[in-house]
Amino acid sequence: MHISEGVLSAPVLVTGAALAVTGVSVGLKKMDYEKIPEAAVLSAAFFVASLIHVPIGPSSVHLVLNGINGLLLGWLCFPSILIALALQAILFQFGGITVLGINTVIMALPGLIGYYLFGGLIKGKNRPLSLAAAFAAGFFSVLLSGIFVAGALLSTGESFISAAKLILLAHLPVMIIEGIITLFCVAFLKKVKPELLGGVYEKAS
Amino acid sequence: MKKRHNTRFSFSILLLFAVILIGSRIPALAHKVMIFAWVEGDTVFTESKFSGGKKAIHAPVVVFDKDGKKLLEGTTDNKGEFSFKLPKVTDLRIVLNAAMGHKAEWTVPEAEIRQAGAIPEKKSAAEPSRPIPAGLSKEEVRKIVEDSLDKKLRPIIRMMSESKSRKPSLAEIIGGIGYIFGLMGVALYFKNREKKR
Repeated sequence: MHISEGVLSAPVLVTGAALAVTGVSVGLKKMDYEKIPEAAVLSAAFFVASLIHVPIGPSSVHLVLNGINGLLLGWLCFPSILIALALQAILFQFGGITVLGINTVIMALPGLIGYYLFGGLIKGKNRPLSLAAAFAAGFFSVLLSGIFVAGALLSTGESFISAAKLILLAHLPVMIIEGIITLFCVAFLKKVKPELLGGVYEKAS
Repeated sequence: MKKRHNTRFSFSILLLFAVILIGSRIPALAHKVMIFAWVEGDTVFTESKFSGGKKAIHAPVVVFDKDGKKLLEGTTDNKGEFSFKLPKVTDLRIVLNAAMGHKAEWTVPEAEIRQAGAIPEKKSAAEPSRPIPAGLSKEEVRKIVEDSLDKKLRPIIRMMSESKSRKPSLAEIIGGIGYIFGLMGVALYFKNREKKR
């Protein structure tokens, strides 16, 4: 999912950076005292998740964990993912500094969309439905990220359809795995502290 | 309030450790593409792969000289390899453009090309079975030694260039996590000051 340095043109990079700054500033505004440790832990999880390589499929793909980041953090997933990506760029040379903005948007925005689409369903009483929503949130976050990457690559002349096809095909196993991870996370939270998921959404809205 | 926060926090920690655990169990890792190139005689060999260890197959490779002029282009084969005859003696910048926004490059400095003995004299390796005449000149001996050294060292050169693709070390991973928690501390500090005010 990390777009390398020197692939994208300047307008795309600037747009990405502007969107990322917006997202991060909204996220920071919404950040309250108790959420800071949680954001840090999820950021760390995201940071490490990119090292987990999924050996299925035609190319090299890794976990993203943007679904669970978005679901638990809402807007806060922007700063959380930005920090993790910055460290990945510096320490592992994944992505890069100039592409930091667009990469943040590519991974955080789907998480946020997942939060608004499925967050309501997850806190619902209907257990199967909420678990299905959790799976969907994990699944669609990766899917959307793939579509965003294809969109960003449009500017390089790579055709959207073929790029999207390639990325989505490669990430299909990741989507399913992330869906399952998100499902288990939500199932765990619901069991241990069911009101906890609900609380988050009331607070962040 | 306090309890709620604790549960969430410990859950997140649990998730983190699960991720680290799985991460350390699976040897291969993620998302970067790399290209290595080395010179043998008058041919430049390149090898491309993702950091997961998968070869980058059928990916376009473009070669530039040091002024950024395009010299030639080609595609990697099924093994992620691509080789070409040296177009000219200059710094070569070899750019691999794998799909999905992945790009990597490798520079072969001019000195390395000269060292590989490409240019002035063609290799005498073409006629190796010729019986060696009695009085070998110093020059000839040097050449024979160099040729066989080249051959013997080839796997080592290859290994060295591959070692550049080393995976992130544990120190870097732990360091990154440390940074994140350090930043958390800073954020908490500032939030705390706001609260007190």
